[in-house]
Amino acid sequence: MAAALSVQDRNRELARRINEEARNNPQSPYANKMVGIANGQVVVVADDWDEMSTRLRQIEPDPRKCFALEASENLDEVHEIWGSM
Amino acid sequence: MARANWALRRGRPVIQIILTLATNGQALPRTLLADTGAGSRKSGFELILDEDDCLLCNGVPAFPITLSGAYSGSFPRYDIQVQIPALAFARKLRVVGVPAAPAGFDGIACFGFLNRFHYGNFGDPGQFGLET
Repeated sequence: MAAALSVQDRNRELARRINEEARNNPQSPYANKMVGIANGQVVVVADDWDEMSTRLRQIEPDPRKCFALEASENLDEVHEIWGSM
Repeated sequence: MARANWALRRGRPVIQIILTLATNGQALPRTLLADTGAGSRKSGFELILDEDDCLLCNGVPAFPITLSGAYSGSFPRYDIQVQIPALAFARKLRVVGVPAAPAGFDGIACFGFLNRFHYGNFGDPGQFGLET
């Protein structure tokens, strides 16, 4: 069944599990880290977003096969964009 | 210390960034409304751009994000290389992709981005600038 998932699906599912783990366990190695995923696997963990992204692109240049996240982020938060339109 | 200034557009503060097209590596200049009311210091995004630009510039997908106000709903987020040559600024940033940028602009430079710099008119009411 897992083999039927696309690379993007696998990346997203792994990212979701990492974020959940990091939010539930502050001792998780991913807690508050920037995590780069490629082809369904974690390939880089860093403290800085730019550093993580640079290394992720070096490992996998095709962005469609990558996913980036800040572990521990509250994905339910709503962000205000005051009236700029 | 470096400073970049841009003339106001429609009386509103703007900045110019450079994206890079994935197909040929060409520079893609974009003029963004500088809006300190867009997001917060810890919003998890720094710019809002047309989603087509995010895809044309090899944006790496990230989790979508929920906005309210001028944009409302869930929007995709990407990791994109952004440059401001005059400031020797070149970093990968988290960017929200929207179906349409604000009229007259290519997107929004949010508080999280502006707050990386000193920002303001630096004594010239017809301009807006960023300073490192």
